Amino acid sequence: MTIDPQRRSFLLNSAWGFGSLALSSMLASEDAGLSASLGTDSNGLIKVLHNPPRAKRVVQLFMAGAASHIDLFDHKPALEKHHGEQSDFGEKVEAFQNGLGPWMKSPFKFQPYGKSGKMLSDAVADLGDCVDDIAFIHNMAGKTGVHSQATYLQATGFQRPGFPGMGAWVSYALGSENENLPTFVVLPDHRGFASNGPKNWGSAFLPTSCQGTAIFPQREQPIRDLFARGDLVTPESHSAGLNLLDQLNRSFAAARPGDERLESRLRTYELAARMQLSAPEALDLSHEPKHVLDMYGLDRSGAQYPDTINVPEEIEYFGRKCLMARRLLERGVRFVQIWSGNDNSFPRRNWDSHEDLKREHGPLARGMARGAAALIKDLKQRGLLDDTIILWTTEFGRMPSTQGSTGRDHNPHVFTNWLCGGGVRGGISHGPSDHWGFKPLDRDNPTQVYDVHATILYLLGLDHLKLTVRHDGIDRRLTDVHGHVIQEII
Amino acid sequence: MRYSRLIFLLLLVALADRATANDDLFRDQVVPIFQTHCVRCHNRSESKGDFSLENARSFFEGGYVEPGDASASMLVELIAPGDGNKAEMPKTGPALSEQQVNSIKRWIDGGAKWPDDISLKFDPDAKPEPNYNWWSLQPIQRPDVPQSNEESAVKWIRTPIDAFVWRKLAENGLTYSAEGDKRTLIRRVSYDLTGLPPTFTDIVDFQNDDSPDAYENLVDRLLASPRYGEHWARHWLDVVKYADTCGYDKDKLRPNAWPYRDYVIRSLNDDKPYKQFVQEQIAGDVLFPGEPDGILGLGFIAAGPWDFIGHVEVPESKIDGKVARNLDRDDMVSNTFNTFCSVTIQCARCHNHKFDPFTQQHYYGLQAVFAAVDRADRVYDEDPLVVARRNQLKQEIDGFQFQLDEIVKQVAVAGGEDLKQLERQIEESKQLNKQPEFGYHSQVAARADAEKWVELSFAESTPFQRIVLRPCHDEFNGIGAGFGFPVRFRVEIDGVTVFDKTDVDFPNPRLSPVTIPVSVTGSKIRIVATKLAERSNDFHLALAEIQVFNNQDANLAGGASVTALDTIEAPIRWRKSNLIDGIWFESNGSNLASLEQQRSEWVERLVGQQTVARQADLQRQLAAARMELGKLPMGKLVYAAATEFPPEGNFKPTLGTPRDVRFLARGDVTNPGEEVEPGLLPFSHEDSADFVVPTGSNESGRRAALARWLTSDSNPMTWRSIVNRVWHYHFGRGIVNTPNDFGRMGGERSHPELLDWLASEFRDGSESARPGSLKDLHRLIVTSSVYRQSSNHSGVCFQKDSSNRLLWKMNRRRLSAEEIRDSILLASGTLDLEMGGPGYYLFALEKTEHSPHYEYHKFDHLDPGSYRRSIYRFVVRSQPDPFMTTLDCADSSQSTPARNETQTPLQSLTMLNSDFNLVMARKFAQRIGLDDELPQAKLNLAMQLLVGRRPDESEQRLMLRYVDDYGWENLARIMFNLSEFVFVD
Repeated sequence: MTIDPQRRSFLLNSAWGFGSLALSSMLASEDAGLSASLGTDSNGLIKVLHNPPRAKRVVQLFMAGAASHIDLFDHKPALEKHHGEQSDFGEKVEAFQNGLGPWMKSPFKFQPYGKSGKMLSDAVADLGDCVDDIAFIHNMAGKTGVHSQATYLQATGFQRPGFPGMGAWVSYALGSENENLPTFVVLPDHRGFASNGPKNWGSAFLPTSCQGTAIFPQREQPIRDLFARGDLVTPESHSAGLNLLDQLNRSFAAARPGDERLESRLRTYELAARMQLSAPEALDLSHEPKHVLDMYGLDRSGAQYPDTINVPEEIEYFGRKCLMARRLLERGVRFVQIWSGNDNSFPRRNWDSHEDLKREHGPLARGMARGAAALIKDLKQRGLLDDTIILWTTEFGRMPSTQGSTGRDHNPHVFTNWLCGGGVRGGISHGPSDHWGFKPLDRDNPTQVYDVHATILYLLGLDHLKLTVRHDGIDRRLTDVHGHVIQEII
Repeated sequence: MRYSRLIFLLLLVALADRATANDDLFRDQVVPIFQTHCVRCHNRSESKGDFSLENARSFFEGGYVEPGDASASMLVELIAPGDGNKAEMPKTGPALSEQQVNSIKRWIDGGAKWPDDISLKFDPDAKPEPNYNWWSLQPIQRPDVPQSNEESAVKWIRTPIDAFVWRKLAENGLTYSAEGDKRTLIRRVSYDLTGLPPTFTDIVDFQNDDSPDAYENLVDRLLASPRYGEHWARHWLDVVKYADTCGYDKDKLRPNAWPYRDYVIRSLNDDKPYKQFVQEQIAGDVLFPGEPDGILGLGFIAAGPWDFIGHVEVPESKIDGKVARNLDRDDMVSNTFNTFCSVTIQCARCHNHKFDPFTQQHYYGLQAVFAAVDRADRVYDEDPLVVARRNQLKQEIDGFQFQLDEIVKQVAVAGGEDLKQLERQIEESKQLNKQPEFGYHSQVAARADAEKWVELSFAESTPFQRIVLRPCHDEFNGIGAGFGFPVRFRVEIDGVTVFDKTDVDFPNPRLSPVTIPVSVTGSKIRIVATKLAERSNDFHLALAEIQVFNNQDANLAGGASVTALDTIEAPIRWRKSNLIDGIWFESNGSNLASLEQQRSEWVERLVGQQTVARQADLQRQLAAARMELGKLPMGKLVYAAATEFPPEGNFKPTLGTPRDVRFLARGDVTNPGEEVEPGLLPFSHEDSADFVVPTGSNESGRRAALARWLTSDSNPMTWRSIVNRVWHYHFGRGIVNTPNDFGRMGGERSHPELLDWLASEFRDGSESARPGSLKDLHRLIVTSSVYRQSSNHSGVCFQKDSSNRLLWKMNRRRLSAEEIRDSILLASGTLDLEMGGPGYYLFALEKTEHSPHYEYHKFDHLDPGSYRRSIYRFVVRSQPDPFMTTLDCADSSQSTPARNETQTPLQSLTMLNSDFNLVMARKFAQRIGLDDELPQAKLNLAMQLLVGRRPDESEQRLMLRYVDDYGWENLARIMFNLSEFVFVD
């Protein structure tokens, strides 16, 4: 099968890249000479999924800098018992900054929650109400202890640049449920991008329409170019201008029959105008009732925060993103990615706690847990949790030994992910790590990002082996040449 | 050394079952067929068509086989459809032979028994039987140009290109389209060759030029324009992944990447022969020594992303360091082979190429070619005489150094243990009061004339009497006393120079304090080094202590705070605060002096006065040569492939010694296999992969061999690859529509003979084309009748060839991101045509000290520095320009041989509301005339500037009505969105 780039562009010339799986099916079927017989809906989207879907949309919570599994979700009594003793891994260990000091217990206390009795640390106690809806995976194994490569790996399935983010693949495959909003929305950390910046949600070789649209609620323009800045353009000049443009472009198109691009270009301006109405409404939290705002921790309107990292500020910023995510999801956005933590600047505002685990993990985890728990509960009470998948992830884990006296070094050997909603089995912990939290207990059978991605695609009705796009001689997949659906958690 | 394995692993588990005839047939004949031809795509992990040949269960589950009835089995239908139809399977490779098909049929008819003990597995590491039977590996054959007497041919065919295209059209019952009108032609060819539209005057002149070669003259004029190189360089930079930052974590700036960009522009404008263009980019330093372009071209190898953390922070000895370096070489290999040969060699990193006859062994052989180079700033000289003198001086210095080393050895031998003892005493005496707080140490610089400063600032204005500088002592590189003391410097107080030693070299004070009387009142004392001390092939500024005395002779420095342009903070030895800590090294007076005196007397006795004199003489000559070297014009820097550069953390130069490159099964660095010798790719069974690079050839010899191989006339890839790229940019699609992949997974050729004809014409030249001339190739293409067709639709042809693969019309295209931006600048009268130099920013740059932030939303588009052509903008890899990205600009993290062309609402929003467009709308409105001018005239000019014509009556009515209500600026904003503006017919 050969994908003709021109043909591909032509098929994608409609709006938010509706088409998409539509597209792949169509291109596949062109070879078989079947293109005429495909049924499409009004958007041109073909509803041919690989398997019956359990979920329609995804939220990915990404903890930049590498959140410690053993201080949040993966309780290790052995560390409490052997705290301060010289660590011994039973093998030669290479740590990123050689942080192989004595064993270190978590600075946070653990206690059981829910019917499942899941042990969580105090830092994420807010998630206690939700543990029976969550499937934890404690034997995630990475490939590298370098932030950039590890972030790429978890975000795009490849440890180097040049590959589409998971959200871009999902957009490509499923298109939009609401063409007045972007298919794939990203809410970066308000302090800045994590390592690799926008390349984590780029479309790479997929069409530009599949890339994540970053929204910065704190900026003058939360969505770039949604409205004209300054005083040149008034609502009247804008709307009369669109009318004028439509007439001129329509006659240009009419003189050039047989070129669908010119027709679809007219439509992109209609959609742009509709998005100018839909997007601000979706981002406007002012009509949310007080009890909802309270649940997300957004009860301190106009509060001022100190320069040092602190809990209330983390709750406010992460909670705001989670609430926005819910509003976007219920309006048909397919994939929302929320980031916690920015790049490795000074002072540290991410999860990369080499020096003082408690200092950053404490506030970041509390903020994250409050927002994430509110999001789960909120989706649940609206009946949206059944077909929305939430994925919590990070680059890698942290070592059970100390770095300095209160920090932890990188641990690419094992870390935790969790999933919730959208057909995921709740109240379980899958694939244990060993008793230090150093490596998977079963070293030969870790869970990898490919498996998580394959599982999410499966829940969306997609077969990770079949969702392919040919690029430079390879039929590229989100899961490269790996990946198995994790049956145990669905 | 040869790597070999079983082709496929046949797992024979368990015990002998009762063998039946059908079993035997299966084991002996059918299994080998499945193994060789089917398992690759139908196995456990990859079961195309939901069909896996792993075991009996999976085999029968597929439903492709009716045991006992071959004729009713879908499988047979697929491998042998009969009636001369092409077999659908195997998808790649040759069809099964009749004999093979019969074996399978007999096995199915006999009941298709598949014993439980047999399971088939695909081993991707296995070495396939290389199959060179593929068009792109065959030598280029120059086909005869088709001849025809048919009227439609005679009327239309202008060039050999037309003859090839005409034949295909005729064979498929298609007809060509009429020639486009003159306005369409001039707009099309201007954009295609220069990325800019023609002026209205150009259009009118061309329309009025009735001479027979009016069009050809236009093409010549466009090809001669410097705008040509700027436009086509953009295409090249898309393919090679050029950017001005490194990408990955931190995404640091590459301030010296742009000379490569300018090199590409200049090479294209000069119509440099393609062979030379390729050679310079792989091994210009070896093949064109002394030529600046020989080094500038090496920017190609360094163009792609680079992982700062993986190289600088992680040592090569750690796994992550190995991974980073492996991926770095992978990028060099892929960039070379994707770009020049359209071979997807990167597919062979973890296993043999699944579709093309290239093995992992070949792949690592190519990594070995690049095993000694890294990406770094590299010095190049523009004047060949300077290069020659520099090399000569370096040789002389090495010679003097060698002789001096010999004398030292001679002394050591003669002096024996006793002399060693004395030298130890001297050493101890030096160490005696040396405390670990050495002082302040700047970052190292590649050049001596990089200015550096360090400053003491006081909270309030203070009367200063004198300043004392205390030199450092560090045994690094045997330097010792006076380490890092500036060769030239000045002292400023509150910005006023109070002491100036910038004209002549300041003799190194060794350990003596340098006292500077000042008698000035101020609050900031800055030491500015204008010529740095040499350290070890690099330069820096270091000081142990700065003392500042008032007229009471009290040292005030302790109360100051220290800042510096840059610093190496490596406590406790080096840090800024050491400058005012009251600690510096002074030799232990008389003891040291007398020991050293004793030593020199002793040495003179040992080797004689003559040798001592010679030693002094050599030292003088060495110093003189070094000084002259330092006085030579510094040379400029380009970010390129390099083997020598100042080390940074764990990132160290190889100095030309290739790193070990080992065979990595599954691409896994933790499991290195045998060392791999450098090699190349074979095109046939007769070729051997290691036929050009001699074993043991040094680093530059390896690259030179690769460059020669790439550009040899017998290399079938290179010539086809480039003509296809050029064709792609003219028609929107290549003859092969996957310009980076001519392998079995690539696209099919629409005009196979034309491709070979173009490749041979380009490679060998002819009466009308110089060998390797891209400009002649453009001329050939754009003067063809095929290119001059109208882009109008034809229902009849559309029915037969809906995607216009056979070119029955010209393809209409949307302008690229750069063309749109440049055209808006041009129309607004703001375009600045200055060429070359560092890229301009379209963002506010913040927090450069750690991870730079590129804040596009904070950029002020009123900055005229940003009004140059888009090729000159500073390209950020990990945070690409949102305006450009929305308009389908290439992503510099990957090779982009063909851009997407999408239509999205975000594009519409960008074209309506981006700050750039709004600023330009105002400029455009100003340009088209003053308010009191006739509206009709203003509108005429506006339309001429944007779309090259005057408005018709109804357009005029609509637009002027809008102007009446909302003004010209609002109209300008809307006009930038005209489909007629962003599309080229």
